[in-house]
Amino acid sequence: MSLLKPFNKLPELNTANILLVENETQFQKKLADTIVQLENDVNVIVRLARSLPLPVEIAEKRQRIDLVVFIVHLSSEQSLLSTEVSLKQLESGYFMGKMCFLVTGARCGTVPSERLTSLKKMAASLNSPLLMTEDGTTEGVNTAAQRVLNMLKISAGLVPMATGLYLSSLIRYTVPADPDWQDQD
Amino acid sequence: MDADELLENAKALANQMSEYQDNLPPDALASELSEAARVELIDECEEQFCQLQQLQSEITLADTESLQNPDHQAASRLNTLAAELKEWQEIQPKLLSSNPEVLLAVGKKELPCLNKQLEMVLSCSQAKRDNLKDVLKSELEWLEQKKEVLKAATEQVTALQEENSRLSEKGVLQDMKKKIHRLKEYHENLLETLGDILAEHFPLPQQGGNANKKRKNVFPEPRADLIPLHDILELLMNKLVETPHEPYVQINDTFWPPYIEMLLRHGIASRHPEDCFKIRLEAFY
Repeated sequence: MSLLKPFNKLPELNTANILLVENETQFQKKLADTIVQLENDVNVIVRLARSLPLPVEIAEKRQRIDLVVFIVHLSSEQSLLSTEVSLKQLESGYFMGKMCFLVTGARCGTVPSERLTSLKKMAASLNSPLLMTEDGTTEGVNTAAQRVLNMLKISAGLVPMATGLYLSSLIRYTVPADPDWQDQD
Repeated sequence: MDADELLENAKALANQMSEYQDNLPPDALASELSEAARVELIDECEEQFCQLQQLQSEITLADTESLQNPDHQAASRLNTLAAELKEWQEIQPKLLSSNPEVLLAVGKKELPCLNKQLEMVLSCSQAKRDNLKDVLKSELEWLEQKKEVLKAATEQVTALQEENSRLSEKGVLQDMKKKIHRLKEYHENLLETLGDILAEHFPLPQQGGNANKKRKNVFPEPRADLIPLHDILELLMNKLVETPHEPYVQINDTFWPPYIEMLLRHGIASRHPEDCFKIRLEAFY
């Protein structure tokens, strides 16, 4: 079992690699297409995976991954569990601003609120950003792609004077100071 | 911002663009760097890449243990942040290559980008300004309306206050007092006029003097203590007012008979039906 490491390979010129991890693959593909369409200046390579670890056979050919995005559907318990398992396959360097969570379906009222709460706790404990997105509409997918792309550019080192660690310190998900937060959410 | 506004802005922007399009320099002749500049840049890139490889190998060699527990995460995050902060504090701004050709190329590349951004700022601020103008206009209209309302309300209040004071007990009282005062004045005026008329036209008979010498033979000398017509009338009136059931006044010698005769003849006074020495004021009311 090999951990995914952020610095084990040399970066390539004008290239940003992003890995979208999603248990179900429908949103993954839409998001990947949109991200590639949106970016013109930089060579963006999108990789899709259902879960981590990635297959070892092609590990040598794979470029280094600059940003790992975990897509969690609140409507399915499996999505959350799979994410939790996959998280263990990341080297700790990824938690320094090279990963984020993407949540969909949070607007649906029938979703049990415990899932979102546990995901929030997870994001807070890992100091990582938690993006709420809408996967049903084109506009929502565009917005999500734009946000992910902005993060990707920074974490791939393509934006001068900004680092992924710096950005994630600003936008990371934090537990509200409210003591009875756990009961409320 | 609605669609029309956006369209307007876009049109204005297009106009401006076409206006100063002629002033722009011709497009940079792409990649016309001299060989020397190119070599210099490539050298610099090589140098950077060497540094990068060195760092990479250092990272690979370093023993990177991966612990998933949050405490370790937080600690390593703190370390990394501190390192980054130190790096930012110590970093020296790196100058671009001093080669003028390279600088020119960079500048040419940067300028259109900057231009685009500034145009966006311009368009945005214009839209904002127009928006603010509209807001100002509507606010002014609103202010005007409020002023009118205030004016109308003030008028209403004044009118209500007037009506209130008119209707209140105090107001009624004052009104009555005024009326009484007016009546009193009128009454006094009447009395004065009457007194004047009486004093002027009905004097007491003169004692002595040439004018009365002729009458001495006809009439006996009038008594010295006669009371004027004014007093007679006053007596009659007072008696009528004070004792309405017994309005008759006893005639005595101090009443000058011609005056009594005059009062009786002109229907101002009348005699007691049984006692001819008593007279009363006619009941005019």
